[in-house]
Formats: sequence, structure tokens, C-alpha cells
Amino acid sequence: MILYTPMQLELVLAGLEQMKHYPERKATVNGVPALVRNVGGQEELVQLLSTNPKDYLRMDLYPGAPVIPSR
Amino acid sequence: MSYYQSFDEVPGLFPYHPPSQPGPETDPHRTDNPCDDPNTERNRVVGKAKNTLETVKEMGTTQVPEIKSNIHCLTIVGQIEGHLVLPPQNKTTKYEHMIPQLVALEQSTEVEGIVVVLNTVGGDVEAGLAIAEMISSLSKPTVSVVLGGGHSIGVPIAVATDYSFIAETASMTIHPIRLNGLVIGVPQTYEYLDKMQDRVVRFVTAHSHVTQEKFRELMFRTGELARDIGTVLIGHEAVECGLINEVGGVHNAMDKLKSLVEDWKSRNEGIMQ
Repeated sequence: MILYTPMQLELVLAGLEQMKHYPERKATVNGVPALVRNVGGQEELVQLLSTNPKDYLRMDLYPGAPVIPSR
Repeated sequence: MSYYQSFDEVPGLFPYHPPSQPGPETDPHRTDNPCDDPNTERNRVVGKAKNTLETVKEMGTTQVPEIKSNIHCLTIVGQIEGHLVLPPQNKTTKYEHMIPQLVALEQSTEVEGIVVVLNTVGGDVEAGLAIAEMISSLSKPTVSVVLGGGHSIGVPIAVATDYSFIAETASMTIHPIRLNGLVIGVPQTYEYLDKMQDRVVRFVTAHSHVTQEKFRELMFRTGELARDIGTVLIGHEAVECGLINEVGGVHNAMDKLKSLVEDWKSRNEGIMQ
């Protein structure tokens, strides 16, 4: 990966080693398959797995959105 | 002939007779009022969407009518995140969410124009170029506005649209690509870096009025940046070198997009007829 940015790399990548990894799992969020993770008791959407492009325009589904997965 | 007839022996397979019972909308003898008594008020309207009051009465719910704009706004902020998840102090734009969004926008019948608002400090080359290529290959009219800054990989995204604006005080940094991480000091490394840079230079020069010589000169200029070689273009300067089309803000961008949408609509009508 090549970062092309005028920002200092030390600033961009600071804390990379201390970054916590939260285990991700597949779930259905509001009827859409997605990857979710539990961050401090709150379920958070990581990435949509849907192949329907319209799901990506939904206002309730975006990376980082607090969600209630059904499965 | 006998081959097809053999199917008739199996009932229900061929020829296929769907079990059709005339519904209220297909029944030719249907009276206008489903209630036989003409004095009672009609309680059912065929082929008409229920209005809010009817939904409240029948379902006990309200559905606030959504006023949808024919223009979609895409905001590109912070770092454009690539294949590596950046530490949480970065504000990031996630390409894996943006790319399907752009597909949906292309497909959508409601969206007629797209405005891209940029305030980015660059980011991953591949992810940035992917977004730029997606925007440039949309069939719908697109306009971009660079507000605070559109640096590094923000430059190809800004020029990818049909028409670009830059705010009076906004800046764009143009500088060479450097390798980060483990670098092996061999000539091949330099060639690889040069190829990466060529991708950006080629995209920018193909989608704007800046020449390759001029863009490379801006990229390798010395004495402008404190820690690097390159140039910072502010507002008018970006327009003067041909990188951006016009200095302006949201108002100018929306006006331009409206006229582009009108052109696009009339062109599409011409194809249809």
C-alpha cells in the first residue's frame, strides 16, 4: 500500500501497533448481510456484504454505524 | 407434432394454464363501487397509492412522504483508506463502501446528477484512483467542489468529474509519491515508484486541461513546501494552471450541475426517439 498524502506519515500511522482488533462476524442487519463487531458492548457495522448496490445507499447502513444484528 | 402432443398427457405441464381467477381489477363486470350500495362511501380505490390520511386510518401508521433530491452528494473527507485500516485518530473515507454506492447511483432512476465535495488530505493511491475512475466513468453529470483541501490523491478525484470547482481559499498539494514501509534500495524500486506516479499523472492530465509537463513541473518544484518538494495551489492558481475549471462554491456547483443535468436529459431524450 502506498499512502499519497502531504500529512506526515508518523502522524497518520501513529498508534498503529496499539490498535485493538475486535473480532468480526457475519450477521444480518435490517435484512442485509454484513460484517459486524462488538466494540465495548455496542454492535458496530464494519462492512456490508450485500451484492445489491441499493443497500449501500441506505441511510442506516454505513461503516461504523451502531446496529442491532438479528443473527 | 407427436412429440409436443406427448406433453399434453401430463396435466398442468404443457400447455400451461395458470389458475386465473379474475380479481377486482380484471373483472369486466366490476361495478365502480365495490360496495353494492351506491349510497355508501367508497372505501377502496383500485390503482391509486394510499395517501397519508388513509394509511393512518387503515394501518395506524404514518409514512412521512420523502422528498427526494435528484442530486446525490458524495463527500470525500480525511484520508482515503486503502487496503490497510488506519489508526482511529484518522478520519477516513472507505472505498469499499463508496464503490458500490457509485454503482447504485449509476443505476438509480431518481438520481440525475452527482456532486462530489472534497476536503481530503490524500490517502491510498489505489483506493483514490479507484474512486476517481468510478466517478469519471459515470454516465450521469458530475461536478466536484474542493472546499478546504484536495491534496495528493484528492487531485485525481477532483478532476474526475465533468466540471470542477475550487473554493477561493482551498488548496491542493501536488507532490511526488514516496514509498512507505520497507523499501529496498534498488533501481527497480525507483521504477515501481515512477510507474505509480505515472498512473496519477496520466489520469490528471487526461481529465483536466493541465499538460503533463506542467503537472510534473508542479510536482517537482523546490522551495515551496517546508518538508517536501512540490507545490501548493490555492484557489485561482489551480484554475490558472488548468487543473480545475473554475473558482466557486456550492452555489456555482449546483447551478452548473443543474445545467449539465438538463443537457444530459435532452441528450437522452434524443437517443430514445
